[in-house]
Amino acid sequence: MHRRTLIGLLVAVGLPVAGVALPRAPAGAAPAPTLTVFGASDLAFAFEAIVPRFERATGARVTLVLGSTGNLAKQIENGAPADAFFAANVGFVDALAASSAVRPESRTLYARGRIVLATTRRSGLRLSSLTDLRRPEVKRIAIANPEHAPYGQAAREALETAGLWDEVRPRLVYGENIRHTLQYLQSGAVEAAIVALSIADVPGIDSVPIDASLHRPIDQAAAVTTRSRQPDLALAFIRFVTGPEGRPIMERYGFALPPSGGS
Amino acid sequence: MDLFPLRLSLAVSVAATALTLAVGLPLAWLLARRRFPGRDLLEAAVVLPLVLPPTVLGYYLLTLVGARGPIGRALGAVGIDLAFTPKAAVLAASVASIALLVKAAQAGFASVDTRLEQAARTLGRSEWQVFWSVTLPLAWRSVLAGAVLAFCRAFGDFGITLMVAGSIPGVTQTVPLAIYDRVQANRMDEANALSLLAVGVVALLLVGLGRLARLRF
Repeated sequence: MHRRTLIGLLVAVGLPVAGVALPRAPAGAAPAPTLTVFGASDLAFAFEAIVPRFERATGARVTLVLGSTGNLAKQIENGAPADAFFAANVGFVDALAASSAVRPESRTLYARGRIVLATTRRSGLRLSSLTDLRRPEVKRIAIANPEHAPYGQAAREALETAGLWDEVRPRLVYGENIRHTLQYLQSGAVEAAIVALSIADVPGIDSVPIDASLHRPIDQAAAVTTRSRQPDLALAFIRFVTGPEGRPIMERYGFALPPSGGS
Repeated sequence: MDLFPLRLSLAVSVAATALTLAVGLPLAWLLARRRFPGRDLLEAAVVLPLVLPPTVLGYYLLTLVGARGPIGRALGAVGIDLAFTPKAAVLAASVASIALLVKAAQAGFASVDTRLEQAARTLGRSEWQVFWSVTLPLAWRSVLAGAVLAFCRAFGDFGITLMVAGSIPGVTQTVPLAIYDRVQANRMDEANALSLLAVGVVALLLVGLGRLARLRF
């Protein structure tokens, strides 16, 4: 009797597997072409505004996958179904081009990132420049991990150029990516943070720009993947972001434009 | 609210639990009942997924089953895409949870009196029949406990799924990935609603299963 009920239980678990068909990836026969765009997470707000406009203009559908540039690059290298890739750092696109995972001729600089010094309004702390990080009330400072996050690299360079790196280093906390770094600040775990201008415009956060001459430019590049079945549409999306419709939106969300321009 | 992540997560966790049972029960039985060269190595390999950080494990898996990996290429040759599909999410969830099932079932099998199994053998039962009519019925509590743990771990997997299946909305974005995505986008209301809903549905399922198990056994 035990045996029968136990087997019944196993079947009860196993049967749905046979019955429940897992949702399938959308087939190529969809009425409107669907573009899958992989992008760095600092693009969240800007692309939320740009994607619907592109969809209206072209009739295409865009599936946006946001994540850490490093992870997304590894996935594209391993055959992820992306049509276009917007990296937070041009280096990742160049590496993918070298391994033929993206089309070199499609490589486009789409933005130049800016960093800001941010505090929470709640804390009542007002910092006007990097030197204010010396103040004793600033117990902890969050930056993105300078080893692999482009904005973290820039934060470190700025602190070094300002001659503050050695002094503030013991008080630094590293975020995994730039959104994570901002969350340290929002949660009150740190008194100050150096984050991207593009994500700093949120309620409760005050920020002052950090002089761009203190660090090397944070050039961000996009490219069409080699495995994309609709490279023309993917390239059209990249041109849309850097074109007359996308540019003002990107600027509004804090992405300065590279001097060489779009395409 | 978009309920796709919840439906996907339930389907993926059920499939992963079934896969885990199919692979894990024979493994647990081997570890509990047989002595063979490399047994200690196998036992260590089973718990390895609990030791490695999930994203790292996910990256290794991706290099195996991705378009350029040996398994991915072999599957691709027969027309099967694994990486970045819901099947990859099942694989990720299974890898994450198999150790929990195997360790629980192994302890359950080991606690079964071998004399009872011997008695069945003297009555002419084959090893296969001994397992189904003596060992498994006496160890079912441990197996069920392991399966429940495996289901929950499969449902909650984040790191391995993120790497191997990606966080593609409407295709492979499970509940944990969807919640993280909403948090990243500062849509906390949606994140909270999805968290509450997922916890509620899984709690209901487990309470139901608990009731069923007590009634039936």
